Amino acid sequence: MSTKLKHFQTAILSRRRFLETASGAVALTVLSPSGMGQAQTADGTVPFTTETPGVATQRIDGLKKVTGQKVFARDHTFKDMKDWKGKPHYAMYLRALTTEKVFKGIDRRYLPPAAKKARIILGNELNASQRSPQIAIRRDLLVDERIEEEAKDQPKTRGFDRPYAVVFDLIVQPGNVPDFLGQAVALLIFDDLAEYREASRAMAFQDDDFQKYGDAAPPKDPVVFNPKTTYVKYDHGGVSFDYANANPYSYPLEADSYKALIADALDARPDLLRHDFACDMRAMDPMFMEPESGLAWHDVENKTLNLVLGTQSPDGDFSDIVSMYRSSDAPFKLDAVVLTTCYPGGGFGGRDGSPFSLMLALASAFTDGNPVQLMYDRYEQFRVGLKRHATDLTGQVAIAPDMKLQNIEMNMRFDGGGRKNLSPYVASLAALCAGGSYKTPMANIYAEAVHSENISGGSQRGFGGPQAFFAIETALDDVAAGQGWDPVALRRANLIGEGDTTVTGGPVQQELRLREMLDRAEAHPMWADREALRDEYAARGLTYGTGLAMSLQAYGTSGDGMVAAITMDETGKLTVKSDAVDMGNGSATTLGVVIGPILGANAVDVEMGDYTLFADTELTTRDKLGTRWDNPDWTSKGVGSSSACLTGLHQVHVVQQTALALLEGSIMPAARILWGMPDLQSSATAWVDGALVLRDGGADPLPQDVLAGAVFENGLPRGTLGHAYFQAIWAEADYDTPGGQIHLALDGLSFYMPGADKPTRVVRQNAFGPAAWTRRFARYVWAPCVNVVGLTVDRGTGAVQVENVLSVLNAGRVHVPALVSGQSQGGVAMAISYALHEDLPPGMAGPANGTWNLDRYHVARAADVPLNTGFRPDARSQELIILDETPADKGAGRGIAEAVMCSVAPAISNALHDAVGVRYSSLPITPEKILKGLRA
Amino acid sequence: MTISFRVNGHPHEVDAKRGGDKLIDFLHEDLNLTGTKFCCGIGICRACTVSVKKGRNEAEEPVISCSTALATLDGTSITTVEGVSNGDQDLHPIQTEFLKNFAFQCGYCTPGFVMAAKILLDQLETSKVSKDQLDGMIEEAIGTHICRCTGYVRYFEAVRKTALDVLAAKEGGQG
Ligand code: FES
Ligand code: FES
Repeated sequence: MSTKLKHFQTAILSRRRFLETASGAVALTVLSPSGMGQAQTADGTVPFTTETPGVATQRIDGLKKVTGQKVFARDHTFKDMKDWKGKPHYAMYLRALTTEKVFKGIDRRYLPPAAKKARIILGNELNASQRSPQIAIRRDLLVDERIEEEAKDQPKTRGFDRPYAVVFDLIVQPGNVPDFLGQAVALLIFDDLAEYREASRAMAFQDDDFQKYGDAAPPKDPVVFNPKTTYVKYDHGGVSFDYANANPYSYPLEADSYKALIADALDARPDLLRHDFACDMRAMDPMFMEPESGLAWHDVENKTLNLVLGTQSPDGDFSDIVSMYRSSDAPFKLDAVVLTTCYPGGGFGGRDGSPFSLMLALASAFTDGNPVQLMYDRYEQFRVGLKRHATDLTGQVAIAPDMKLQNIEMNMRFDGGGRKNLSPYVASLAALCAGGSYKTPMANIYAEAVHSENISGGSQRGFGGPQAFFAIETALDDVAAGQGWDPVALRRANLIGEGDTTVTGGPVQQELRLREMLDRAEAHPMWADREALRDEYAARGLTYGTGLAMSLQAYGTSGDGMVAAITMDETGKLTVKSDAVDMGNGSATTLGVVIGPILGANAVDVEMGDYTLFADTELTTRDKLGTRWDNPDWTSKGVGSSSACLTGLHQVHVVQQTALALLEGSIMPAARILWGMPDLQSSATAWVDGALVLRDGGADPLPQDVLAGAVFENGLPRGTLGHAYFQAIWAEADYDTPGGQIHLALDGLSFYMPGADKPTRVVRQNAFGPAAWTRRFARYVWAPCVNVVGLTVDRGTGAVQVENVLSVLNAGRVHVPALVSGQSQGGVAMAISYALHEDLPPGMAGPANGTWNLDRYHVARAADVPLNTGFRPDARSQELIILDETPADKGAGRGIAEAVMCSVAPAISNALHDAVGVRYSSLPITPEKILKGLRA
Repeated sequence: MTISFRVNGHPHEVDAKRGGDKLIDFLHEDLNLTGTKFCCGIGICRACTVSVKKGRNEAEEPVISCSTALATLDGTSITTVEGVSNGDQDLHPIQTEFLKNFAFQCGYCTPGFVMAAKILLDQLETSKVSKDQLDGMIEEAIGTHICRCTGYVRYFEAVRKTALDVLAAKEGGQG
């Protein structure tokens, strides 16, 4: 071999869990490619950790990535799967070209010679359970009780991932009309790589030649994906009504009558300014750099499905795949799934519940027990990959002469595309975001996701925020401009804060500091000197404008469960395991260092995507008697999909609490033994240079390895496994440990004892947790951001260049500063990109026609983005101001992965308005639209 | 008839019949060298950049392996990201700086940036370049590479810093 690299070695068998199905239990084993999350290099040095616990000097996954080692699913070839047997096969799906005609099959005569040798599988050859698997209800969806409601009245015969009255097949059956563009119409299996390549080349862009369609079909009725979201809030004349506090059962009916009351209240105030607005945006491709790819092998003998995947939702993907083989009519039975989880090459939500995993698993059933690879190229990724929804928004803001908001009305229609995926939940969060950063006594907000023939939408970065904040922030600017009000003053008059309620009626119970953020932005030279800047640019012949926008992005869902394990080896080296996936956002790195201050050293290894951990907690989400927290076995939610915004608070919390349990339950008892101080409290100790010391001196420092030695020698726990649940507050409980009883903000704790693989549960006592009804607040924690954008417009060409960006961000505790600013920089670039460039037409004019790639979809390049950090009037720059942490943050970070991005696009539109006096409310704001606006 | 070239110092011969095969597919499938990344496949994103030396005395050039047929590589010497360091060891200064500056996130675009930046830095070592030419050269070297995660800021910072180090070392050497 010409490589100097060590090869991908046998994967580490690390974790196992079972999924109960109708036909018995399916065991899941999760593997990670060896050394994937390891900071340690081959010679044993650990460049990732530093002398300073809690500080990361580089990404824990950085070394593997910067040297091109195998970390992504696409890096894995059959050669790497040493234990796999059989001849490599290659899968290719053909994609539907219309939803208006009956699909008649494939005309083999027109296939290129290489493809004629392939095995061709049509939809009618699939067994029912494969054709239309009963996809499990995702546990991590947003408004759980609505899901429960929906699940209740949904006939059992339908899978969850499709609208009522539309049953989608994974592969369209001949004689049926495709349900959406890009739906598979045939599966081709090749047993020869050269033939697969040749066929791919010959068939590219030629679908028309060999796909046969018949008669036009009558148009289908429009379908809205359930649930729809309505937030009606009425707080007027001593009467109060809202979603959070209403009776859930009568809410829908009552909401209608309160809508009428809102209308009356507004009509009764002729002095109100009522400003109508409308905006829209095109679909957007997440354009993560690694097109989806994976390997699968159905090991017939062992009834095991082996998979290599890079997904944001390994848990959901596993359940979906098993659902294909759990019904009584399944073509074969699976006893086990072995999943090798890889770092995704970017995600941004596009790999959350992606159908790719299902399509790969389906292909594996048609290779006669041989392994198969499915790898999308970029054209196919554009054609079928989950998108951010195209959206239409209309509404009205009503504002009193004293600048106070009286009502926000908004209607949002998300084009969900073919599959339901997470679309209605994205719309639902958009409904919450419609309130922006403001308090309003009245609101009337409706959001829906509709089924269409377009490419399916999904959980993209911002989750509805990009759409809703764009609407409210451009509307407010128009109001200010129309009234001659200062746009900052208008916002300041309406800021929401602790003690206020959102449009759901849910309380804000967190310090937001919006006023301070606005003050910072207002005083910044980019805003304060904007007229002088405009003049300077004008002197150079350039048209310059400045715009400001705010966002208040919620992070987390309506209830989040998360799990983490920390183990120690006999030399004291620490490993962190988490169910979360690191899409590049740096959660592995963050989780590796946040234990540092507690345990005296950073982790040398972080294993992500380990969702077998929850099963090991022995907690259940079943609560037959309804005793909730009083039932020591119960938690409200196991784990959910990975979102970058869940790191800062949620994942860090569970890791730190689990670390605390290890300190108090194991390390302190070891120290007491070593120092002979049975009454020693951890508060009397500190970590200095990787050793535990007495704060007041008087004993020899205890280095990590000595402590670890005593832990193992005395049969103390070598590790801890913790589960946490957050829903406005954390669930808390007391736990008996070898170090005495401790109180933790965890609802589950187990110890790994020396010599035992499986953890032993500590039954919680005196548990206290969030009340069920607080779910109707929808969200509880917020990452606010103010963005100011300065840009120039070329009146001749319509080209827009973003010159300067200022972001003022409340991030709470910043765990790894370089990761936070990196997320901000990435968010700024992505927002510039979708605000000005990224344009995906719907239907067969867009990527569904299979001819779209980066040559026509412009993703921001370096030249599109200001690259200098720190404002300089003479150079394009972006400045990030992160508020200093306050005591109210209690050391917790905020999930900011989406926060900065969400208010850049409206700030761009506002800056354009400032520059040329035209409101551009349709994204992307392309040069053609600019010119059209200038002419109008 | 065969086509011969070196990859990371090792000689390879392939049948001329495979002249139309793309370099990236050969690297991935024949050599199992998957450090070179496939993204667009049409020469836009530059994730698949490798370094190619046409002749003994010629400079290394960035080549997009997704759009380069094996037939055009006869007699060349190719370096992929796997050939830049010795696995985890002996990192190139640009790799170290990318790590130190948290330059990348998901890392899928990183091998392309490593190769392009390395070629630029090698060029700085051997040719006369002044400080004020630097920004233009950096823009030229990595300005068209696509990265979806980072917003480019930290990549550019890292390349500029490493380039300035090279220039400073040269000045030091001369002075
Ligand atoms: S893969 Fe994009 S240029 Fe080669
Ligand atoms: S780091 Fe993810 S694409 Fe560049």
